[in-house]
Amino acid sequence: MLGLLLKDFINLKRYTKIFGLFIFIYGFMAYTQKDASSFTSIFALLFTILTMSSYAYDEVAKWDVYALTMPISREEIVRSKYYLMLLLVALSFAFSTVFTIVLNFILGIANIYLGLEACYIAASVIVLFYSITLPIITKLGIEKARIIFFAVYMIPVVIGYFIKKAANAGMIKIPTRLLEISKIAIQYRFIVIPIVLLIALWISYEIAIRIYQKKEF
Amino acid sequence: MKGKSNTFNISNTSNNENSKFAITINNLVKQYDDFKLNHINFQVPKGSIMGFVGENGAGKTTTMKAILDLITIDEGEITILGSDSRNLPKEKKALIGVVLDGSNLHDNLNVNNINLIMQRIYLNWEERIFYEYIKRFNLPETKILKEYSRGMKMKLSIVIALSHHAKLLILDEATSGLDPMVREEILDIFLEFMQDEEHTILFSSHIISDIEKIADYVTFIHKGNIVFSKNKDDLIYQHGLIHCKKDEVNQIDKAYIVGVRENRYGAEVLIKNKALFQRQYNNFKVDRTTIEEIMLFITRGKESF
Repeated sequence: MLGLLLKDFINLKRYTKIFGLFIFIYGFMAYTQKDASSFTSIFALLFTILTMSSYAYDEVAKWDVYALTMPISREEIVRSKYYLMLLLVALSFAFSTVFTIVLNFILGIANIYLGLEACYIAASVIVLFYSITLPIITKLGIEKARIIFFAVYMIPVVIGYFIKKAANAGMIKIPTRLLEISKIAIQYRFIVIPIVLLIALWISYEIAIRIYQKKEF
Repeated sequence: MKGKSNTFNISNTSNNENSKFAITINNLVKQYDDFKLNHINFQVPKGSIMGFVGENGAGKTTTMKAILDLITIDEGEITILGSDSRNLPKEKKALIGVVLDGSNLHDNLNVNNINLIMQRIYLNWEERIFYEYIKRFNLPETKILKEYSRGMKMKLSIVIALSHHAKLLILDEATSGLDPMVREEILDIFLEFMQDEEHTILFSSHIISDIEKIADYVTFIHKGNIVFSKNKDDLIYQHGLIHCKKDEVNQIDKAYIVGVRENRYGAEVLIKNKALFQRQYNNFKVDRTTIEEIMLFITRGKESF
């Protein structure tokens, strides 16, 4: 397991310089705009790409076939990718948090923790994104999965857009009960989100394991 | 047992730890839309090199993948070092060194990175042996694999396979696409590995000359069927090649004929049971044959008996 993670981190090391450049540019932009939220979202996006890149590297090298001949189980290969994703999300979260606090301090903002919720939401969105996409990548491989992602993420966006439009025009009425539940969920977001993410991750992992167990190379 | 079974027992089969065989394949079936591994049976004796030969698309790689549990098999069972190949325990997997057709390592890595990674994958990884082979093969330590030639990549894969005290090497087309000098160097390493009588090699290749150089046993697969799995020397001693006139072929008892190849000067006949044949027919000069010729006659001979 450690070997697999080390392999991914060594492969991703080449992104360090580009990341440094992005941090500098977007850090400077956040400073001039006196707002760290754009930095948080960009940084979350960059870290999201890294997990996908690790799959792409493995796919190009045809690594999995080779790894399965070593003392590594199929479960470990799947698990290592979930660990990698969570580690990268944790890194992204830690970095964004530190950056936001430091920027708030430099800018002399009274509430030094202002904007940290954006870091929390960004990290949660990435975990949810990967809970859905990792089984798809496991099944199809990263190249084919990229096309599917577009469809998977565009459909809810388009549907959401039309529901909102229809609701605004008074064509449909969103059930009051649903709105109440949403309000409660937002109110207790620091409890609800982790529970939802844990359930999503668990289901996602179980599906990915089952897919990978049956995979032929 | 369904269908035709190709059974080639080199000796008795046993599935336990003390088996004489490093690998035992019993009645292996794998069906694809356009290809079938058809009831494959053969064993790789411990302490030997088994050459696994056949033309491209004959089923070598599919059989290798089945052995390595990379594909699901439809029927049969495979035993490696005394355990079922499906879900082989980690301690057994650690005793197997595998070299695949490609390098299967990431282009961004260098030798030092690979050492660090493998140390964490193989509990029995031996850094000293790894770097000794790296030096011996003149593999640059700081260059990334992207800058390696195919030969260098294959050597590195072999070095990895040899650096964790493997008892069994499974090599799939490990010498294909390499120049003769590099191939010779690699074959020497395999022979060195075989100095330990507990060590075994299963070596698939379509380069028959490599198999002839180092193998003790040869298993020949053709269109998903095992044609033979025998001791290499026995194969060569038991077969012979006759050059004669076309009309003389009819004088030979068909029971001896493996295949006939005709050309405008006459005919070439591959015969089996050479010793018996020579006692019966002293008017034919029987030449020594090669594994390659035996294979060619079986697959392409005008007649097969």
